[in-house]
Amino acid sequence: MKKTLAGAALAALALTALSACGSDSSDGDNGSSGDSTPQAADIRVWLNGTDTPQDARDWLKKTFEEQNPGSTLTIEQQEWDGLVEKLTTALSSESETPDVVEIGNTQAPTFTGAGAFSDMTDQLGDLGGDDLLQGFVDGATVDGKTYAVPYYAGSKYIFYRKDLFKAAGIDAVPTTMDEFVDDAIKLKQANPKPANFSGFWFPGQDWRNGAAFIWDAGGDLATDDGGEWSGSLESDESIAGLETAQKLFTEASGAPKDGNEADPWTPWCAGEVGMMSTPGWVTGLINDPKSGCPDTLGKQIGVFAMPGSDGSPAPVLLGGSDIAIASKSQHQELAQKAVALMLSDDYQTILAQNGLTPAKNSLASLLGDDEYAQATIAAASNAKLTPAAPGWANVEGSRVLEDLFSAIAQGGDVSELAAKADEQMDSQLNG
Amino acid sequence: MSDTAPRPRRTALPYVLLVPAIAALLVALGYPLLRQVVLSFQDFGLAQQFGRPPEWIGLDNYRELVTDPYLWRVTLRSLVFCLVNAVATMAVGVGLALLMRHMARSVRILLQTGLLLAWAMPVVASLTVWEWLFDTQYGVINYLLTQMGFDFEGHSWLLRPLSFFFVATVIVVWMSVPFVAFTVYAALTQVPEDLLEAAEIDGASAWSRLRHIILPSVRPVLLVVGLLQIIWDLRVFSQIYILQKAGGSTHDTNLLGTYIYRLGIGGGEFGMAAAVAMFMLVLTVVLTSPYVRAMLKQEGEA
Repeated sequence: MKKTLAGAALAALALTALSACGSDSSDGDNGSSGDSTPQAADIRVWLNGTDTPQDARDWLKKTFEEQNPGSTLTIEQQEWDGLVEKLTTALSSESETPDVVEIGNTQAPTFTGAGAFSDMTDQLGDLGGDDLLQGFVDGATVDGKTYAVPYYAGSKYIFYRKDLFKAAGIDAVPTTMDEFVDDAIKLKQANPKPANFSGFWFPGQDWRNGAAFIWDAGGDLATDDGGEWSGSLESDESIAGLETAQKLFTEASGAPKDGNEADPWTPWCAGEVGMMSTPGWVTGLINDPKSGCPDTLGKQIGVFAMPGSDGSPAPVLLGGSDIAIASKSQHQELAQKAVALMLSDDYQTILAQNGLTPAKNSLASLLGDDEYAQATIAAASNAKLTPAAPGWANVEGSRVLEDLFSAIAQGGDVSELAAKADEQMDSQLNG
Repeated sequence: MSDTAPRPRRTALPYVLLVPAIAALLVALGYPLLRQVVLSFQDFGLAQQFGRPPEWIGLDNYRELVTDPYLWRVTLRSLVFCLVNAVATMAVGVGLALLMRHMARSVRILLQTGLLLAWAMPVVASLTVWEWLFDTQYGVINYLLTQMGFDFEGHSWLLRPLSFFFVATVIVVWMSVPFVAFTVYAALTQVPEDLLEAAEIDGASAWSRLRHIILPSVRPVLLVVGLLQIIWDLRVFSQIYILQKAGGSTHDTNLLGTYIYRLGIGGGEFGMAAAVAMFMLVLTVVLTSPYVRAMLKQEGEA
């Protein structure tokens, strides 16, 4: 018995020790998907989070399957959180890769440069040409070739509680950054209960909202010095912006200092939020009887674009998504047809009706002209992209900025933390 | 083996029977390991993942690694975490196994069912529940502690690295105890009853019966289980990875497993990640070699 035990243990040791280290990466031989008779197949489309409304998903599946008899289209929903990692592994495997993927507009450059997506330059004209959101197309273009097209845009704007503004004696929405910060603190002070109430809901990991304060103060996350990228959080302007963020974290926010910004409708419906900066589609979830509170706090939503120091809208992160075709997909032609449908006026209209800025300029009017549409348009008017550095997705993948903002939220020394983050980013930005 | 057994004839059959096992080992272990060694000498990034030929850079990955103080901090952290967890798991597991010997049948079955459920629960599902339990705002643990009169409202369990690792330890130990408890309990049922009885009659105390009879007879099992715990706790990944997403500082809580992941899959530096993985492999071998030697020695004595 002892003998077999020891033997089994050795075998187990070998197995477990080795499998611990198997950083799996499939062989890099080029998948040649040459012969292209558009054969019936199942097209797998990866959409992220709950951003794309159900109506649009249903329409896409139905229309695609009608137009391509025999073929099917399956939508697989992915999490935004950890998407870069997931795509890194999935896209490189010929047998596992989805055919069409949605990817955050700031994450696209990392993959376009690596050859993960098919060249779509030829189809650009048919898909909308100059009508497509130019900033998104530029972001996905390397050496004159375009590897992804815009899917929708949507910058975050401020949701506020109308009743709490009134109760705190705030008569009008803030029009400058200073007023915004003051109002956030005022709201927090006017609502001592619950203890985790936020005048401005600002979880510690939320660097995407935090970036707006850096940009508003004239700073930047990283700068390009003749082709060599480096972190620029240490600049005086960036530090000033980070200090504004710290003030909001410590004096106005009751959100967890190390939490992330997922599911903002939960604290909203729990009555713990005075203001928060979220994408427009969050209204849908607040007013959904299952996830939200349509009959109570859902009725108290007011919106405006976050104001900048000079009175115009603050430079918030230009949010949105791109659509790309996996270069290892075995069904290039069918995938192209699916992308064409997703950029069609019909499909984009459904997106617009749900508060997402359509991928085509000519459809922008579909957003309507209510309070939400105005906030959407105002927020986008001054929005900025994350640095176009080749290694930007690596910065996101290693969570440098989550760590930075979370440490700032905990009251850490801003200049020291910024210097540390710059150093980490310097080694990653240039790919 | 008794002396009267007939001498087995020499045939090729035993070797043929070994072929499937060796083939499986080569495919499942040999190839990935080879690939990993090769990768660790290459500059292999995201572009290489999609077909661009990699560049050979010799020992550059290793050179960069050993001069990076962060690697050593992560290593030290992983070692301490591994040892604390392995010791805690063994202590609780063996304790429960000993306890089971003295339980009424119904109580024992109840305990065993509980252990089995904890063991059978999928990792991600149970981690989601743990995450909710320890949630800063809506967590049951904060709620209960606050109800009991402590000030835990809005307390973040993951904020400070030490507290983060405390939560991680609770979860890891909770997940590994059933295996230890069951295995050791099974071994304990093999301890000769009559020997224990004789010792008791001779006046041996409960403690000396445990030390001189029970533990020596289950020693091989304890060695194997302890060895496995060390290996498992050194390569711990899912628990840390999921907790990092829930809160805390990634930089200050990375262990070797998550560090390799962040370098490779997260940061697209596969060559570098492979080099760290090689380092971890060596570390595992060094850490477990005393155990393996003890086991081999025991085998020799038997």
